[in-house]
Amino acid sequence: MIVEGICVVIAIYCALRAVFERNTLKKLPFLNAMNFAVTGAIVLLMPHPITIGVAIAYFVGSTLESNAIASTIASWEEQ
Amino acid sequence: MIDILLAIPIAAVICLLLFGSIDFFWKLPKTGGVSGANAIEKAIENTGGDKNGGWMIGNIVTSPDASAGTLLAACGFYIWGIPGAIISIVLVFAGARICADKGYAGTSGAFAAAIVIWLLTTFAGFPPESFIVACIIAILFVQGISTKYASRIIGKIWRKLS
Amino acid sequence: MTDLIIILAIILSLLGGFSTVFVRSSFDKLICLGILTSGAVLFLVNKGYLDVAICVGLLMPIGTIFILLLLGKKKEAAK
Repeated sequence: MIVEGICVVIAIYCALRAVFERNTLKKLPFLNAMNFAVTGAIVLLMPHPITIGVAIAYFVGSTLESNAIASTIASWEEQ
Repeated sequence: MIDILLAIPIAAVICLLLFGSIDFFWKLPKTGGVSGANAIEKAIENTGGDKNGGWMIGNIVTSPDASAGTLLAACGFYIWGIPGAIISIVLVFAGARICADKGYAGTSGAFAAAIVIWLLTTFAGFPPESFIVACIIAILFVQGISTKYASRIIGKIWRKLS
Repeated sequence: MTDLIIILAIILSLLGGFSTVFVRSSFDKLICLGILTSGAVLFLVNKGYLDVAICVGLLMPIGTIFILLLLGKKKEAAK
């Protein structure tokens, strides 16, 4: 009970911080912390061996998304 | 067995020390690995942060490093015990290679975290799900509260160690 | 026990969807779509569709990368 509660509170807090932050590049650390919390929630929701694959696929996918957004902004600022 | 309310803060401190020391060992705050990490470092430095701390936060955001390895090894151990931890170590290495990273930090972080979690759950009686929450709390302190002060603290520790 | 995580999924989906509508910049819209997708993955894991969740988690960054490639052609649209 308390384990799920901490995950849910941290995920909602980080999502709200990520939505209401002004600078686009400073949104990405909050989005990353929210992805950590959602990965933990996925594992706590259904303990089954394939869930390891779901958690790692979700985490790597969201990290790749952050990487693509940040590198696109970096390449635009160079020009 | 330790009560879970007591186990979570102790495990949070252990996770913070574990992935912090492994990230410092692989020299993450020294320079940016990919171009996105440099952009995040500039954005943090423009709002009053520190240079080395900004690079470490940028590297954590743009590739799965020791923090992600710690969390995913804890997830694998919670679900399936030691085989789950081994599966998560292999998949963390593959995922770090997808994100154009070398993958040493993530793999060694997952390996060290699996050993520490196995020791603490077997001999000290920690519940395995406390490590998942502990790693989430630890990463909240690094990048969730305030990137300005967190980057200053990380930069101060890095300059003292090197 | 798992009701808390379902509440988290509902809040993340609603927050991501509405903020995607109201946010101006294109990069911020992509970040808000990431929040929406995290809620969708939680719904899929709750019903037990673990393979579908793996597919969605891996296809989300590919879609984002194609949208970023298309955005590179008109830069004034992404202020």
